Amino acid sequence: MKRYAPFLTVALIVIATIGALAVGATHIDNFWSELFHPGRNEILWNIRAPRVAAALLVGAALGVAGLMAQGACNNALAEPSIVGTSAGASLATVIAILFGVVQVGSLGAIACGVIGALLATTLTFKLASLRSGLSSFALIIVGIAVTATLSAVVGISTTMVTRADARSISFWNFGSLSLVTSNNLLGILITAVIGIAVAYAIAPALDRLSLGDATAFHLGIDVARTRRLALVALSIAAGGAVSTVGTIAFLGLAAPHIARFIYGPPHRFLVIQSALIGGLILVLADTAARTVAQPNELPIGLVTSLIGAPILIALVAMRNTTWRTQ
Amino acid sequence: MITINEVTIEIAGREIIYDYSEQIPAGSITVIVGPNGSGKSTLLAAIAGDLVPSKGTITIDDVHPALTSAPHLATIRAMVVQNQLYSLGFTVREVIEMAGDAESIIDALELKEIAERHVTTLSGGESQRVAIAQAVAQNTPVLLLDEPLAAQDIHSRKRIIELLQKLAEGGITVVVVAHEQEKDLTWADKIIKDFK
Repeated sequence: MKRYAPFLTVALIVIATIGALAVGATHIDNFWSELFHPGRNEILWNIRAPRVAAALLVGAALGVAGLMAQGACNNALAEPSIVGTSAGASLATVIAILFGVVQVGSLGAIACGVIGALLATTLTFKLASLRSGLSSFALIIVGIAVTATLSAVVGISTTMVTRADARSISFWNFGSLSLVTSNNLLGILITAVIGIAVAYAIAPALDRLSLGDATAFHLGIDVARTRRLALVALSIAAGGAVSTVGTIAFLGLAAPHIARFIYGPPHRFLVIQSALIGGLILVLADTAARTVAQPNELPIGLVTSLIGAPILIALVAMRNTTWRTQ
Repeated sequence: MITINEVTIEIAGREIIYDYSEQIPAGSITVIVGPNGSGKSTLLAAIAGDLVPSKGTITIDDVHPALTSAPHLATIRAMVVQNQLYSLGFTVREVIEMAGDAESIIDALELKEIAERHVTTLSGGESQRVAIAQAVAQNTPVLLLDEPLAAQDIHSRKRIIELLQKLAEGGITVVVVAHEQEKDLTWADKIIKDFK
């Protein structure tokens, strides 16, 4: 199983991607022929392809962001929407959009999202380690509090605004890939690649960090620097994703756990597999979001919650040897 | 040689060790003994570079652990913490290989049978032996161990002591915190007590 599993993920992604391109509100005649003629069919290439590409990139970014959150905190429950990262990205982006500084999906919005993500994540970590060292318990409680506070501010500010784009902002806030065009892809591509590259570089250090801060230090790891880099990777990857498609819950939690369950804990491999599995889940979720209730579209955050939350419950309920919580 | 020079260590405003000096010879086994709370582990942690003395200096040959970067320090000393906990399900072999070559130490500490097991499933004594194996695999001139015998049965104790003796004969400086009676420390070259 373990030997062929990497190819399995890639094969599933290819199948899911083709499936996602094939189905939708409009039927595409001669699908296979159009698939091999890039640009010819308008709906396939201008509407569906960018959206599917965005789903792959955002899913990959959130999968790796979740892995970084869990690795940096040595905590099985950490993920961008729990440690405050997503809410920080949301708030910074919403403020910048409401003040007319940037537009949804632009590189400027992505920059705001990344900065907001970085600030909120840093705030969570600072508050969680105020009284003593970083405790897992404090981190999750503080993360939930920071997330709730920032999300409330996002909700209040979007409700107070009566502009026409406020509705699309609140829709965006629940998570949606429907606003994505090919113009947005570059920004998410850049942040996803940077996030994944940093994650890959610090992966061996994260392996050692799982033995505890003291032992990691004894093995030659600069613990503070590793944790900082993980938070930077987390914030860049998640910030870019959230500022473009909104908050998508549970994906960052589920993807690394599924990857770890199949492939074991070494982080080099997990970075790649969390990205692949994150992309796979989001393509499936987005395809479901835009097809099950046609012509209505479901917020994708609801679909990923529906998939991710049971995984979380199963994780708590099942005794497994991939992650022991102290 | 490890030189402890007029060292005072405070933790949270409480003085744990006061104005203490000592020399630990190279290529030997030194055991630190004393009652609970006497600061044995604190002294060991300061040698490892985990803690910075508020006064005085500690040097390993010419190196000041507190002023040395983590990667460089890891080539000089290895350390076994008192309660090694494992949260991720690496195999025993993978954990040891994080520090260096695993094969010879797996044989020496009789870990062959559990080498492919997940460290999350080990007993306390097994975890402790894996932690010892990892530190030995780090292959450093100084080896520090915080109560490595605490959770071991008689057979494993004997194995660990033999290993430490062999390492010391090979020139490695071994420092052990232990809860033993002094009369049982026949394997120690030097005993440190009353270091307040």
